[in-house]
Amino acid sequence: MRETFTKGMARNIYYGGAVFFFLVLIGLTVDTVKSLPQTDNSENMTELVIEGKRLWEENNCIGCHTLLGEGAYFAPELGNVYTRFGEDTENIKAFIKYRPVDGIPGRRSMPQFNLTEEQLEALAQFLKYVDGIKTARNWPPNDQG
Amino acid sequence: METDQLEMKQASLSALASLLNLTALPVIGFIFLLFVYKQTQPHTLGRYYAVLGIKTNLAAAIALIIVTGLMLVLGGFQSPWTWVFVISYFVFVHALFILFATWTLVRSWTGKKLTRTFLSK
Amino acid sequence: MKYESQAVAKLYFIAAIALFVGQILFGVTMGLQYVMGDFLFPEIPFNVARMVHTNLLIVWLLFGFMGSAYYLVPEEAERELFAPWLAKLMFWIFLVAGALTILGYLLVPYARLAEITMNDLLPTMGREFLEQPTITKIGIVIVALAFIFNIGMTVLTGRKTVINLVLLTGLVGLAVFFLFSFYNPDNLVMDKYFWWFVVHLWVEGVWELIMASLLAYVLIKVTGVDREVIEKWLYIIIAMALISGLVGTGHHFFWIGTPDYWQWLGSIFSALEPIPFFMMTLFAFNVVNKRRRDHPNKAAVLWALGTAVMAFLGAGVWGFLHTLAPVNYYTHGTQITAAHGHMAFYGAYVMVVLTMISYSMPLMRGQKAGNIKAQVVEMWSFWLMTVSMVFITLFLTGAGIAQVYLQRYSDDPLPFMVVQEKIAIFYWLREAAGLIFLIGLILYIYSFFAKGKEVEFAEA
Repeated sequence: MRETFTKGMARNIYYGGAVFFFLVLIGLTVDTVKSLPQTDNSENMTELVIEGKRLWEENNCIGCHTLLGEGAYFAPELGNVYTRFGEDTENIKAFIKYRPVDGIPGRRSMPQFNLTEEQLEALAQFLKYVDGIKTARNWPPNDQG
Repeated sequence: METDQLEMKQASLSALASLLNLTALPVIGFIFLLFVYKQTQPHTLGRYYAVLGIKTNLAAAIALIIVTGLMLVLGGFQSPWTWVFVISYFVFVHALFILFATWTLVRSWTGKKLTRTFLSK
Repeated sequence: MKYESQAVAKLYFIAAIALFVGQILFGVTMGLQYVMGDFLFPEIPFNVARMVHTNLLIVWLLFGFMGSAYYLVPEEAERELFAPWLAKLMFWIFLVAGALTILGYLLVPYARLAEITMNDLLPTMGREFLEQPTITKIGIVIVALAFIFNIGMTVLTGRKTVINLVLLTGLVGLAVFFLFSFYNPDNLVMDKYFWWFVVHLWVEGVWELIMASLLAYVLIKVTGVDREVIEKWLYIIIAMALISGLVGTGHHFFWIGTPDYWQWLGSIFSALEPIPFFMMTLFAFNVVNKRRRDHPNKAAVLWALGTAVMAFLGAGVWGFLHTLAPVNYYTHGTQITAAHGHMAFYGAYVMVVLTMISYSMPLMRGQKAGNIKAQVVEMWSFWLMTVSMVFITLFLTGAGIAQVYLQRYSDDPLPFMVVQEKIAIFYWLREAAGLIFLIGLILYIYSFFAKGKEVEFAEA
């Protein structure tokens, strides 16, 4: 190894690079957070939607599904399920409500969560809200998610 | 420069050119490699690594361009299964060539050739 | 083993391996559920098997990092660990808390677990990899603080080597970024944005500092190469890791409702993320080539080289495959992601922990290296696990390419479940490879018990 590039120089590149780019990340974060209201559909974030998000978490839906492409890959993308199900929250509620307790023989099965009418409504409203988030290039590429 | 130092330089330059041809500078890297080869003397370390680099890259060209091309022609551009094989094969085989070229680069820095047993000194 | 207190690492390593076995058992379960959809339904639905699999992975790697630190730091700092009793106490607390959490996942419906653990007071449950009840998360913070205190005091009152300091920085970073797991906003875009401050800044950030310092340590020990050379490489590697990885976080901000500029920034910076892994490959090959001694622990050398190569392939190459926004638009959230994730985690983090265990376990048992038979068995387990992981990745890559074509790229896209049926063959092949991985792991455990001829250690 040539001695023109010393350990001290390497250390300084590490310190300088790490600090500089961490500050850049913070700056970009501030800008991103400020810009979010333009795309995040937060104007439709009602109490019911927030309740729906809580239900989404407490039933670990992300453990089988993806939401805006993030999650597990066992079951379909649900970020656009509102669109895929004909922009009808009743269709979403019905699907969740009518999952058979013992699953479907031989097929990937979704549990029966025994949700109340209100909980089903909240979850469906949450998924409608997610569908309204303005993702770049209108991701996903098509209705299938 | 002393002969030894010149040989070492040619060896590592050859190995670097070979790796660059496989990665960031295809074709240009190969031309550079031929250029280094021309400057080497027979039976030297530099010649050894230059020849190794040329053989590696010719093999890579066949494996990555010809074989992939054949897959595309035989399977057809429209079929998803063609792409399954083409992309998986290309990524995997290309990665293997890059690893081999990386190994030869590092080996060239020691002033020795490759050996049959992986890590002999 | 120069200092008695290094022995606490043994406890941590044994727990790590036991949890690793649990992780893989649930992994092959999920692999079967992919093709036999109602296997173990409704007692262990897929999402439960998954959270057990991923949480066990994270916890056993944490045990592995902690054990590695407890082994390495006293030797580097040239003093005994500050408080061995604290390390032992934290071991049991972490193990029991972890076991209870996993049992919670398995024995009780997740919504009920949320209720029992009073998730309502501070809701942090229900996000990927962060499924732990809030009380468990608080427990993790306490264990992490005690650990950092212990290691930190040892370093600060002892010799401060580059390896020590880089490792400590990585571990502090791990603890600090974990705090973001407590931030769970109602706004989904905000939720997703800051979730990556845990996940990306861990595995493509501070964990790389941990990995690089552990690898550097083992390489110094088994090759005898000059510390100055290795430390310079270490600085270059971690510099590139952070320079590429910090803004590279943006490759997770393409499609979640964040501004468009992330498609450019995320693509460009994350395209550089393979560089530190490439450098680790060069570094590992180079120091082994230029070694001054032939260490009798051949298995440890094999693990070290294998770590560099597999991390480069899994994290670097496979990561690069889907990191550019125009490609990721089609591949986001598909089996391509799963393919990369498996090889990256195995190559970078599983293997570096196994490297440390391979190097240090014999020393903690009073020998320079395992006996010949034990090493041969261990090397067999290396090849079985590593090659089967390559195949798992190739099969999932095949599945992913077909999935992307049929479900995302085609002018006439098919529904998700229809596509999953069509690519079932890949999942069967993956499962077969996964079973071979499990066999490799069982062999690995056997290697700790195999009896054979002892090795001689010839001084260079």
